[in-house]
Amino acid sequence: MTKLSPNLLIEAQNLRRTYHQGGSLFTALDSASFQVWAGDRIALIGRSGSGKSTLLNLMGGLDTPTDGTIAWVGLGPRETLRPAKVAFVFQMPSLLAPLTVIENVEMPLLLGDTPIEIARTAAMEALERLQLTALAQKLPEELSGGQIQRIAVARTLAYHPKLILADEPTGQLDHPTATLLLDTLFNTLKDTDTALVIATHDPLVADRMHKRWTIQHGILQTDSSHNGLQTVNATPQPKLSITRPMPKNSAPF
Amino acid sequence: MLILLWLKGLLSRRPGRLLGAIAGVALTVALLAAIGVFIVASGATMTQRAIASVPVDWQIQLAPGTDAKAVTDALGQSAAYSALQTVCYADSDGFTAKTKGTVQTTGAGKVLGIGPNYRKDFAPELRPLIGSLDGVLVAQQTAANLQVAPGDTITIQRPGLPAAEVKVDGVIDLPFADSLFQAIGTPAGMAPQAPPDNVLILPLQQWHSLFDPQAQGHPDSVHLQLHVRLIHNLPPTPIKAYTQVEQQARNLEARIAGSGIVGDNLGAKLDGTRKDSLYSQVLFLFLGLPGVILSVLLTLAVTAAGSDRRRQEQSLLRTRGATIGQILQLAGVESAVVGTGGAVLGLGLAVIAMGLLTPGTLLLTVNSVVWMAIAAVVGVGLAVAAILYPAWKTARSSTVVSAKAIIGNSRKPLWRQIWLDGFLLTLAFVVFWRTASTGYQVVLAPEGVPQASVSYDSFIAPVCLWLGTALLTLRLGDVALGRGRSTLTQLLRVPLGSLAGVVIASLSRQRRVVTSSIALVAIAVSFAVSTAVFNTTYNAQARVDAELTNGADVQVVVPPNSTGIPLTMQTQLKGLANVAALQPMQHRFAYVGRDLQDIYGIDPVNLPTVTHIADAYFANHDAQSSLAALASRADGILVSAETVRDFQLKSGDLLNLRLQNAQDGQYHIVPFHFVGVVKEFPTAPTDSFLLANADYIAKQTGNSATETVLIRTKNRDRASLLAQIKPIVSPLAGVKVTDIDAAQRTISSGLTAVDLRGLTRIELSFAILLLVGATGLMLALGMAERRRTFAILDALGAKPRQLGSFLWTEGLLVLLAGGTVGVLLGFGVAAMLVKVLTGVFDPPPDVLAIPWLYLLMAAIASVLSTVIAILGTQSLSSKASLEALRDT
Ligand SMILES: Nc1ncnc2c1ncn2[C@@H]1O[C@H](COP(=O)(O)OP(=O)(O)O)[C@@H](O)[C@H]1O
Ligand SMILES: [Mg+2]
Repeated sequence: MTKLSPNLLIEAQNLRRTYHQGGSLFTALDSASFQVWAGDRIALIGRSGSGKSTLLNLMGGLDTPTDGTIAWVGLGPRETLRPAKVAFVFQMPSLLAPLTVIENVEMPLLLGDTPIEIARTAAMEALERLQLTALAQKLPEELSGGQIQRIAVARTLAYHPKLILADEPTGQLDHPTATLLLDTLFNTLKDTDTALVIATHDPLVADRMHKRWTIQHGILQTDSSHNGLQTVNATPQPKLSITRPMPKNSAPF
Repeated sequence: MLILLWLKGLLSRRPGRLLGAIAGVALTVALLAAIGVFIVASGATMTQRAIASVPVDWQIQLAPGTDAKAVTDALGQSAAYSALQTVCYADSDGFTAKTKGTVQTTGAGKVLGIGPNYRKDFAPELRPLIGSLDGVLVAQQTAANLQVAPGDTITIQRPGLPAAEVKVDGVIDLPFADSLFQAIGTPAGMAPQAPPDNVLILPLQQWHSLFDPQAQGHPDSVHLQLHVRLIHNLPPTPIKAYTQVEQQARNLEARIAGSGIVGDNLGAKLDGTRKDSLYSQVLFLFLGLPGVILSVLLTLAVTAAGSDRRRQEQSLLRTRGATIGQILQLAGVESAVVGTGGAVLGLGLAVIAMGLLTPGTLLLTVNSVVWMAIAAVVGVGLAVAAILYPAWKTARSSTVVSAKAIIGNSRKPLWRQIWLDGFLLTLAFVVFWRTASTGYQVVLAPEGVPQASVSYDSFIAPVCLWLGTALLTLRLGDVALGRGRSTLTQLLRVPLGSLAGVVIASLSRQRRVVTSSIALVAIAVSFAVSTAVFNTTYNAQARVDAELTNGADVQVVVPPNSTGIPLTMQTQLKGLANVAALQPMQHRFAYVGRDLQDIYGIDPVNLPTVTHIADAYFANHDAQSSLAALASRADGILVSAETVRDFQLKSGDLLNLRLQNAQDGQYHIVPFHFVGVVKEFPTAPTDSFLLANADYIAKQTGNSATETVLIRTKNRDRASLLAQIKPIVSPLAGVKVTDIDAAQRTISSGLTAVDLRGLTRIELSFAILLLVGATGLMLALGMAERRRTFAILDALGAKPRQLGSFLWTEGLLVLLAGGTVGVLLGFGVAAMLVKVLTGVFDPPPDVLAIPWLYLLMAAIASVLSTVIAILGTQSLSSKASLEALRDT
């Protein structure tokens, strides 16, 4: 079954990310080592300010580590991660305000140079799967917060990415809406090997995931009680590694 | 305390927003202050020039038998004066002179008696040409007619008395003959009397001995005048100065009740200057106000660009418990800081700019201080309107208005529904057409009437054109980005690929903002273009005006009917380094019937090589064909419209003139054929004159002398050329060498005398700043507001090239559309201004002059600032994307 195929997507070792905060160095993430496998369902749990977003951004290649290595083994070079293979769902509304829902959903495909007709079909499909076709021609400003987040999910699904990184996607939503969003997400990913990492401090979300990582003051603890498949391929060769030091004076602003 | 914290926070966190607003206010204040000070300064300069150009302020004509002493006493009470001279006038039946065995006789003439100090007190009245300035002086034209030189004897015919003889000591020119011989006391508006053709001036004593007896028998033929120079303690504005001088003159006349009339030369001059001064005010306002309006718009746009963020800040403050009062207080403090900062900076900028660009215009008079104060108040008001007012509006409507303001197909604004743009444009063209076809006068200052007025309605046309085009731009932009969306998408498919659709869609949904940017750029460009085009045209015309007076860059003249400027000398002049071209010209006199007129003999083919012959000089508005007509007929002649009327001339008609022959010095008939009507010509007087072929005149009069030489120079260093020319021509009696710069300085009639350079230089530099602001700054600010959009795109995986598609499409669309509309509008407004202000130009320009270099600079500035804004946004948005996604 493809779903369980033992594909290592990300392998990271001793990842560190520091920020300059008012003259002093602040370590947002300290020597995090982890692996992400195809089909993973990972809950990244931690308080606000613990370093969840920092970690997700590093995983998605939005940010570069101060120290340590990260390799997108099953995904390819960092430059090629987005829009095709990795997709983000942000906590904040992240639809492009001047574009309609359908245009927003097809945006990653267009950025991936998909011909316009194919992009449109794929976007419509994604909306259909989430039962959002009625909203296709609406502008973000006409939508509710829950609708916006579901569209953001639809946007990630249209391109069939290998990894979805959701950064507190339910953070701004009330409980029923949050549940609806998660249901949609899990249902659509059910039969795929797309990996999903959700940063959250909501135990309800965590309960629905296979794995549970916790992070506290930048220290990451990966769950060891996983289903064992991952331990089989313990030492894959990293195809690509990035060790890029941060510029000395990256301003905090 | 909260206020200080807030300010500190603003300064450290949003310095751009504070500085941007301050800069906008400062520009507005600086422009307004500059305009004001220039208006004041130009008024003062005009008053001074008017005063300086009048040699005798008052000529008080005494009634026969009046006691001059009593009048002098009254004068002292009415006005303070610095010079006073008695001048005696007597009529003569004519003069006769016998030279070289022939006898010349003139018609009636005037004999003046002046005191020994007259020359000292009123020097400009008498210009020495040949011989001494003491003793018996004869006017140049009279000397020519009588063929006399110093040492010769003239016989004066006295009515009722035997003729008297005087010996000539010198030949003079009477530059101000018009006012010297004016008929004092004729009602204003009557046609001015031509000065007498024949004039002799005697020392006072000699005059008395000759004409006191004539006064006995013919009291009407003799009168006395007091010539007065006032102490010029006058207000700086021509209008007020005029009123004051006028009142003093009336006061004196009342005091001396019937024993004298005041010929108020100074008043008359100031009267004429009022009109120019009003014109200059109109000009300054019309050239400057669009700039002020533009910088106001730009300031409002700059602050509006941060309005979303301000609203967010406000709601944040309110959730933290700040009251509306406190919020308004904060906004009030911010606008006070922006207002005062902008005002201080603006005034400083104005002072520096004026000092740098136009030294010597900054007058610390009450009037200019008032202007500066007004400018400062406007600046503070602008800050309030830009910052406090929106804050108050947001605070009042408690629901936080979201980005809905930018996006969405809101209802059509009222002006679009009622087609205000179409209406304004139609109005502009109708008013313009009416103005242009009726030769409408913008400034009305009837002579002798203290009230002067500017009919500002003639500016309806350019103002409506401006507004109408701005609105039309909004409409067309909206239509193009709305209904024209699919066409635009098709067009951009090639450069943008599959992104074309979303790029255009996003522009289309933000078309309110995009079209306002286009309109703003259009207005900024049109301001730069119209100012530059008008200014260049104006300068070109001022040059034409000066050239009309001086003939060419440099003019060498000797008195008419002298031996002329020898050919050898002309060759020598031609050889000078800075001489590009040289043309001889004859200046003689000819009798048209009984009327003596100036006649100019030219080479119609080659004269245009030294001076611009404008179409407006000729009644047919075609310089080329007029000169060609003259060239094709050896005995052709161009005459004034008046002469055509008097003699009922039709093209090809024979016109017999009398010109002086070199052989016998007598005037003999020379036949000419009428080929056209000339209105003005370089060096020619403003009244009637004649224009003929030099060769023909030389052959017919046996005199090939050249009285005028016109020179076109290679470079602007005319001063040193003058220094080279003077020693060469110095042997010639009565020779005069002048250059166009001097002429430009001394022309005091016609508005082209107003020195626009100072203001336009400031405006042209400000226009570039405003252009940069309207293009690059606005783009950068707008994009900074949307950096979240770019951050999201980046997070979704947009490559820099793809991010660029959004940025470049918007930036170039705004620049190209705004630039195109702006250039067209700019030329339109300039053309309208030139037409509306026709009265300014004498003669009116043939075509608009185009300032290529400035336009190129302006284009480069706008393109550069657009490109920099785009590249900057591009690099910033990919760098700062994480932060942008994190905050809000
Ligand atoms: N750009 C930055 N500059 C400075 N400090 C940062 C920056 N981004 C995050 N931090 C700090 O790093 C820590 C972790 O942040 P983050 O990863 O956003 O936490 P979380 O997502 O768990 O709330 C926080 O204390 C935050 O203040
Ligand atoms: Mg976070």
